[in-house]
Amino acid sequence: MNAVELINFNSQYSRNKVLRNINLIFAPNAITAIIGPSGCGKTTLLRSINRTAEMESSYKNQGDIKVLGQSVFTIKDVSRVRRQVGLVYQTPIALPFSIKENVLFGPKYYGEKKPANLNFILEDCLQKAALWDEVKDRLDKPASQLSGGQKQRLAIARTLAVKPQVLLLDEPCSSLDPASTGLIEELLQSLAHELTIIIVTHNLFQARRIANETVFILDGEVIEKGPTETLFTSPVSEKTKNFTAGLFG
Amino acid sequence: MRLRNFFDSLLIGILWLSGLFILLILLAIIVYLVWRGGPFVSMEFLLTSPKGLPLGSEGGVFPAIKGTLWLIGLALAWSLLPALATAIYLSEYHDNSRIATLINLLIQSMAGVPSIVIGLFVYALGVVALGWGISLLAGSLALAIMIFPVLAISSRDALQAIDQDYRLVATSLGVGNSYTLLRIVLPQAVPGILAGILLATGYAAGATAPIMVTAAAIIANSSGVLLEPVMALPYHLYILFNEHISLDQAYATALVLVGLLLIINFLALWLQRLSERTNAQ
Repeated sequence: MNAVELINFNSQYSRNKVLRNINLIFAPNAITAIIGPSGCGKTTLLRSINRTAEMESSYKNQGDIKVLGQSVFTIKDVSRVRRQVGLVYQTPIALPFSIKENVLFGPKYYGEKKPANLNFILEDCLQKAALWDEVKDRLDKPASQLSGGQKQRLAIARTLAVKPQVLLLDEPCSSLDPASTGLIEELLQSLAHELTIIIVTHNLFQARRIANETVFILDGEVIEKGPTETLFTSPVSEKTKNFTAGLFG
Repeated sequence: MRLRNFFDSLLIGILWLSGLFILLILLAIIVYLVWRGGPFVSMEFLLTSPKGLPLGSEGGVFPAIKGTLWLIGLALAWSLLPALATAIYLSEYHDNSRIATLINLLIQSMAGVPSIVIGLFVYALGVVALGWGISLLAGSLALAIMIFPVLAISSRDALQAIDQDYRLVATSLGVGNSYTLLRIVLPQAVPGILAGILLATGYAAGATAPIMVTAAAIIANSSGVLLEPVMALPYHLYILFNEHISLDQAYATALVLVGLLLIINFLALWLQRLSERTNAQ
């Protein structure tokens, strides 16, 4: 089954068309990178998948998006979609709680009360987010004390804590130093064994390093999609060639 | 370049001086009150009723302190919840921005209504039409109407000042609005809301016009019975001045009023610290 599938998907803010006739299939347990110049609709695409784009009142869409075979628009309870499809933002955001409470914010909302279970989730998610060793002695300290790279990994742990099946990341490393970026790329690669990961990135090298497949979007349209190496070394479209060669961006 | 530096220092100097000027005026008021009223403030003054002939020329202001506290407390009790609810609606829930604009406009107009007009309205409605008479109930209601816009606007701004990203993160975890509001937004906004409450308290404590026609009496027990008139510090002060009863007593009363507000301010600051400490955990 396809993890995420967009079928004839269009979206717009007021009259401003952002995405046109998108048909995409994202494979399960793999990393797919979405590349393209600023304003091409990458972020809107991500937000459409977990239905947070709809929070903007001028947003409209046509077409369908399926997650694990089910159309996200037929699910009445929109929070179920958002839980299933986690989204990590560009700026690292720590909620105004302790490190521990940041991770457990979601699970507690969903009714998990047993301390043993909560502790398991806490350690498990921080381990997966490659943050456990750095914070295990100060779980009760305010998360605001963490560095940018740590906060971003905390955001990933917080998202993992509600057990999503798909993880969306919107330029997660754009404000981070190379060391933190490296850590996050590693952890994404290990997460890809159990999750479907879709990452929007401005960093072509990053896409090349971690993505199994890459999608190139320009002006709201999919120009090309294929295995990452193929897309970078022998692109079909002239536009893809120019973009990956750094001629525009 | 040198000219620009000069203008920079000039600007900073002017800003400094204006701040200093305000501080000096504030200090002057307090020093003057302590100088004129201080000698007449004693335990007896604080803890007894007005005496003498004309009434108020001797004795103390105890019922007026009690009355003012009752008025402020009840005014907050009536208006805090509606104001908070309005603020939460305006900052968190309005999908239809036209309704929100209308409500904002209404609140702003409400803030512009002169307090004596509010007093007269409550007089006509509560004191006369509903037959409450001059009473604590009517006075506190008038004050509640008066401070409602202050509370609503300051709480709205406090809520809106909370990082929008927190709501975004919560939503994208599938967490519901009300949970986010209770766990993140409201606790974070407490210092701002508290500051608004303080402002409103000071405003209500010093207001004379709305209680003149609805609640205040020259002498009363002020024991908190809703349908009885009360004494209040600003009204007492007004009578002492206006009827030339005793300037000394008037200054002492003014000092007590200012002191009361200072105590309330310190209490609020302390509460704020406390809530920040629990928030940090």
